[in-house]
Amino acid sequence: MSLLSITGLLITITCSILILIFIVYGRTKLHRLWTIVNVTVLIWGVGSFLAGQAKSPSAALFAWRIAISGALCIPVTLYHWIYVFSGIKKRTTLWLIYLQAILFCLLVIFTKTILNNWHQLFGSIYYNQANLMYYLMVACWGYVAYLPLWELYKFSKKAKGIQYIQTSYLFFAILIAFIGGASTLLPAFGLKIYPLGNFGVGLYAIIGAYTILRYRLLDINIIITRAGLFIGVYTLVLGLPFAITAYYKNWFIEKFSSHWWMIPLGLMGLLATVGPFIYIYLQHRAEARLLKEQRRYQESLKHAAVGMTRIHDLKRLLKLIAHIVTRKVGISFTSIYLYDETEGVYSLQVSHDKGRKPIVNVSASQEIILWFQSKGIPIVREEIQRFAVELKDKMFKELEVEMNMLEAELIIPSFLDKKLIGFIVLGQKNSGAMYSTDDLNVFQVLASQAALAIENAQFYSEAKEMQAQISQAEKMATVGTMADGLSHQINNRFYALSLIAGDTLDTIRLTDVKNCSPEVQAMVKEINTALERIQVNVMQGGEVVKGILRYTRKGDEGLVPLTIDQIIDGTLDMVQFKVKLQDFDIVRDYLKDIPKIKGNLVQMQEVFFNFIDNAYDSMVERRTTLKEPGYRGRIVVTAKPSFGVMKLYFADNGMGVKAEDMKRLFTPFFTTKVSSRKGTGLGLYVIRSIITETHGGKISVQSEHKKGTTFTVELPIFQEKYPQEETL
Amino acid sequence: MQKLLIVDDEEDVRDFAANFFRKRKLDVNTAGSGEEALETLKVNKPDLVLLDIRMGGISGIQTLAEIKKIDQDIKVVMVTGTRPEENECYHECIALGACGYVHKPLELKELELVVMTTLQPEGKKV
Repeated sequence: MSLLSITGLLITITCSILILIFIVYGRTKLHRLWTIVNVTVLIWGVGSFLAGQAKSPSAALFAWRIAISGALCIPVTLYHWIYVFSGIKKRTTLWLIYLQAILFCLLVIFTKTILNNWHQLFGSIYYNQANLMYYLMVACWGYVAYLPLWELYKFSKKAKGIQYIQTSYLFFAILIAFIGGASTLLPAFGLKIYPLGNFGVGLYAIIGAYTILRYRLLDINIIITRAGLFIGVYTLVLGLPFAITAYYKNWFIEKFSSHWWMIPLGLMGLLATVGPFIYIYLQHRAEARLLKEQRRYQESLKHAAVGMTRIHDLKRLLKLIAHIVTRKVGISFTSIYLYDETEGVYSLQVSHDKGRKPIVNVSASQEIILWFQSKGIPIVREEIQRFAVELKDKMFKELEVEMNMLEAELIIPSFLDKKLIGFIVLGQKNSGAMYSTDDLNVFQVLASQAALAIENAQFYSEAKEMQAQISQAEKMATVGTMADGLSHQINNRFYALSLIAGDTLDTIRLTDVKNCSPEVQAMVKEINTALERIQVNVMQGGEVVKGILRYTRKGDEGLVPLTIDQIIDGTLDMVQFKVKLQDFDIVRDYLKDIPKIKGNLVQMQEVFFNFIDNAYDSMVERRTTLKEPGYRGRIVVTAKPSFGVMKLYFADNGMGVKAEDMKRLFTPFFTTKVSSRKGTGLGLYVIRSIITETHGGKISVQSEHKKGTTFTVELPIFQEKYPQEETL
Repeated sequence: MQKLLIVDDEEDVRDFAANFFRKRKLDVNTAGSGEEALETLKVNKPDLVLLDIRMGGISGIQTLAEIKKIDQDIKVVMVTGTRPEENECYHECIALGACGYVHKPLELKELELVVMTTLQPEGKKV
């Protein structure tokens, strides 16, 4: 077989493999176009193979027809590819070169105007002799071949980063190919140069594929290695016996006469058996070496992912994640964004970089978030750029803009139970390499582990907060039990004060000061006033203590008949120290003679205290937030007896409760109070327990945000079944 | 002169209340505890006892019981720091024979009223 044929064969094989790869893995228009380019090169390869084998002018004609047709189409398809790749606008050129290619192809295949006058060169290869048409064709071909190179060169001036690398690779690959391919045509012009340049064509196909496939569809290193190894091993496995047979056939026949073929056959069998093992072994070694770097950081990322759940401090956890990713993988920067429930945006938590000014908030309506929510896969900037150019979908343009704002190369979403809790933004790798599919897989594992770890950390911080609240509630309970003893002590002081002041006032009253000097009279008057003031203060002090006692008393003395007025009055007594009673109105919407309810006064007062307290806060919030002119807080207490049950409605016109808070209203430790005086959050939980368990009633709530809240309480009416003595 | 015994563990209370009622022409004695009160009682029987419920030593209620044992006719008004309804003592005291129940802190005028009206019938008798 002539060397030309060998080159042809090589081109055929490599192009077939590449076409196969692109058919299986190709996604975009560019990939498909490149497949077409490869097909044209394949045709050239087949043609040149046949040309090297041709033993007669007619065979040569056939072979060269195929080859030249392929050759004509190669630069055209290549130009088309670059047309899409670099986004050339002028379609006319494209149409023109397609036209000329079709024309010449027709001429070549169906006529003998271009290819004729065959003579043999280099011993065995038939070449045509160049005529005018041939010159014309080659000239056109040269121009069309120059076009893609020129466009590529122009584009490389504009391209940055990865695209620049791709462009330069392509440029040189194509240059080599054309030069190499063109050299095969030289003999037609009388230049006796062996068409070895054809090797260049095969080379270029591989380089071209490598460049394009650096998109993260496949890890190209692996493909090249595997393909290369495959070709290498099997060329050996299959080729060696053939070669041996070809060269040493006579020697074999000499030695083994009629059974000579058994030796090469046996050898082939042996190699075929051993071949796969050799292949696998070499593949492992090669991949281990190639991927060493990548495997290294993937391993450490995996380890980190496992260890993450042990960290309970959220900030520290996030910093660690950012640090690991940036350092281990070697990235210019990493930023982590988490969803902030209260603000409804994804806000920047941690950023590991060198003094960039990153964006702080990403709103939930941005395209990136929508992409994550619908597709759930990471976003790669190269891909998006490609899609934006090819698919003309506005969404991709938006995404590209947003990614540029974030300066992101790659954004990995983090999901917990289908909810997007946040995402990690990664910049370019320091090495300039692309993010491979493997990389993405590892990052996604990291992201889901991170989600768990973050949730874990959040639980811990919530648990800590709850602990704090519990101990606060415990303290309050202790104060409650102390209050009994304390208030007795305090009451004694007030009593003593009252007596002292009272007695002295009495003495002054009984004493005749008419005969004293004016100064003394004035002094006595002053002392009298002072003592009166002391008495007033003492009385007030006494009331305060009474109020405290009412609140802290356990009050489990059983259920007695109570009037609503009784409850409200008692509550107002207490609540006046916590809220400004003059800031709102309380309307009692019930008849004077409605039946009494069966309840525990102290506990019912606690219930109403809670209602009024919450209503007050809510009304203050409405006043300060909505600032409606003429707004005045109002609480309406309605009571209606109904079939043995008293229905109480406690309605305020405050800020109301947000829909998402409604479910949690009665849960322990739930509070929306953001003032420094946070509620313990036990209010409604205890209230519900008092109403339903102790009193056998029901409680429910309706609320409309910005309108108000109404609590509905049902309590059993006191039935006078047996004559009962009423206590005071 | 009618006799009044003020029983309270607070010194100020005893002194000033005593001073007050002395101005009203009552013979006032004081005691700082239930035991002291019983001792004084044996020597000097009062017409009315103002008895503090919560004291160290024997409680006011026990003192009440003891007083009644010594002399049923002695009028006793209980003084307490808590509201009457909230205290089971109320019924107990009434059952034991207490004439009245006041709770502190109260104004001296109220105290005066209670004492004077409780003593009145006796006064009239004389």
